[in-house]
Amino acid sequence: MSPEIQLAGIHPRSEKLIELTRSYERAKANWSQVEVQLEQETKEVIKLQESLGFRHFSDGCLGWQDQLRPVTRSLKGVESGTRYSRWFDTNTFYQKPVVVGKVSAGNIDPKNFLRAELLTGTRDRKITLPGPYTFSQLSENKHYENHADLLLDIALAEREIIRKLKNQGVTLFQLSEPCLVYQPYRGKFRDKSEVELALRAIRSLVKDSPGEFVVQTYFGDAAPLLPELLDLPIFGIGIDLFETDISSLSKEERTSKALVLGVVDSRESFVENSGWIAETARKFSEKVDARDLVFAPNSDLKFVPQKIANQKCEALSKASELFEGS
Amino acid sequence: MSKLFPVQEIGSLAKPKWRTKGLRQQLSSQDLSEAEVWAEKLGIQDFHDRAKSILKAVDDKERVKRILELSTLYGLRLFETTGVDNDGVGGEQQRVEMYEHVIKAVQGMNLLGHVHSFDNKYFNKGVAESKISRKHAIYVPEFLDVKKYAQRAVKVPITGPYTLVDWSFSGYYIQKQPASSPKARKIGAKREFLLDIVEQIIRPEIRDLVDAGASWIQIDEPAVTTHPEPQEMELFVEAWNETVKGFSCKFSDHTCYPSEIGYKVLAEYAPKLDKCDQLALEFANRDTSRLGLDDNSREGYSDLKHFVDAGFNGEFGLGVTHVHDFTGSVSSEAGQSVGRDLIESPELVRDRLLYATKIVGDPAKIWANPDCGLRTRTWDVAFAKLANITRGAELARESYQ
Repeated sequence: MSPEIQLAGIHPRSEKLIELTRSYERAKANWSQVEVQLEQETKEVIKLQESLGFRHFSDGCLGWQDQLRPVTRSLKGVESGTRYSRWFDTNTFYQKPVVVGKVSAGNIDPKNFLRAELLTGTRDRKITLPGPYTFSQLSENKHYENHADLLLDIALAEREIIRKLKNQGVTLFQLSEPCLVYQPYRGKFRDKSEVELALRAIRSLVKDSPGEFVVQTYFGDAAPLLPELLDLPIFGIGIDLFETDISSLSKEERTSKALVLGVVDSRESFVENSGWIAETARKFSEKVDARDLVFAPNSDLKFVPQKIANQKCEALSKASELFEGS
Repeated sequence: MSKLFPVQEIGSLAKPKWRTKGLRQQLSSQDLSEAEVWAEKLGIQDFHDRAKSILKAVDDKERVKRILELSTLYGLRLFETTGVDNDGVGGEQQRVEMYEHVIKAVQGMNLLGHVHSFDNKYFNKGVAESKISRKHAIYVPEFLDVKKYAQRAVKVPITGPYTLVDWSFSGYYIQKQPASSPKARKIGAKREFLLDIVEQIIRPEIRDLVDAGASWIQIDEPAVTTHPEPQEMELFVEAWNETVKGFSCKFSDHTCYPSEIGYKVLAEYAPKLDKCDQLALEFANRDTSRLGLDDNSREGYSDLKHFVDAGFNGEFGLGVTHVHDFTGSVSSEAGQSVGRDLIESPELVRDRLLYATKIVGDPAKIWANPDCGLRTRTWDVAFAKLANITRGAELARESYQ
């Protein structure tokens, strides 16, 4: 079977939706007009996935204002804060969560995460959530003395979110963990104990949780952590092939896990050639023998205009066919 | 300037409705009613004559020219009326925004479409499609209008080369890189693109501005703190030094909203920036909104220590007011929360200036400014914030008398 293709986060809004949300900000459009367009475009994103042969469907998260906010607003002990921080090295921002008390699940409204009513039929559904380590790293902690306690409480709270979303038919949960591999915040790579703590939080999140899980790393080199990541009791691991130094994988890895290859660059408009994608994936699979390969963008496609994002999805689909035929 | 704690504008103001609409179509006298209210507030004596000439203009180009000139005049007068000492170019009224304004003047680049910045804010992102060159002057026409009307000192904010490249897709420059790892291709493309932007776009523009009389150029580089890797920082320093080489005017850097690492890495490299007389930085956004000169109350300014420790000897343009939505709580002494805005009190501004002085050690090195441009705030809010900055600076000054 050819490699599956998946979205890996927030899909870009169209120029029409962008204009409407801007008009809404200027009080020249009302929210119901925005909602109509949001619904229309969500259907289009789903249709695009159908036409390209996706097996796990995302709703594109078009209403998400940043990658953390729906989780932030579902937790007790966490406030949205007033501070906008830069999302890694992109020119996009997120509202920095502020931890002001013990973190636990609050009022979780699945509608803030997913347009389940639009993902009709028996399709498998995928959702992207910030992993507990990344959420804790990108928050401002004003309550916990011990970071490990914060991390584990976030993981437990996210389990509740996952339960609710499972009830909405979500079967595949992507836990985005760019902070595991994004190094510029640090002088040196995270020490072993910190990595172990992060992985423990992930283990605690997935333990007895319904559904399958992928830990998606991006914006950094996953190679130094790959053996530990492959030990996680989850369905798959995602790596950013634009940042990961494949040559440094010294020996042939074998894994029973799926590997989600971030093989189109969500931060560059140049649409990758499908032949190049297939070839890059083939080179990777010579190094790491994985049970399944999934082709995906390396992160949220919201960093490119929608037209380009859709073209990148098409390139992934063609590459999947080429890979199968090679 | 010998006055302690001078106040400067830092970027753009919101565009008045009449300015935005007037660029697209003919205005009616009703469209100018808001302008009339502000004319009185800002002392624009010849408003009625100007309004008539705008309403009468049949030629689109002529109308646009008059509108841009008038909105520049309004911006300058707003800063002057609130007591600002350096008025920049009047709130960048002649620019669409800091990125697009430049890209539209670059041959070989194309605007691809909007991408999300935050909430319901977006920016139009460009791509290099061929080797780049300058189509026409970018900031000079605006500066000539500013020179005509400014009653106080001015500086010209320009978008820095590193930011222009970082916010663009490399397109052509990626494709022409030799086959290697995806990461190596990206790095090679960025360097080549960046040095072309410096040589083909930014240096010719600075030359024209200096020839037209500009004596202070603020280089806006918000992107620099997003790539703290040594390789990227060296690239930024190389581009900066190449940009300013051979020019004799004052240069300052404006950077804001760094990633999680804050300003630590910028501080390390700041002493390597040739002719960088001032760093104007955002701080209020990360600070508490309560009065006090203690480290906890002024936690947002702690990064200043890094610059002092690294040996940066220049001035600091201190962000003392927030420029985005505010949803927190504030005591009545520290400010007023009005809708989505925080109007910081003069006392809060004073405390921020005095705390920064404690760290920097020399009050003569501190300027006061908003964190960034006030373009997302209404003119009423911008006016109130700027007026309180100047009052806060006066209070800080009093403590040195």
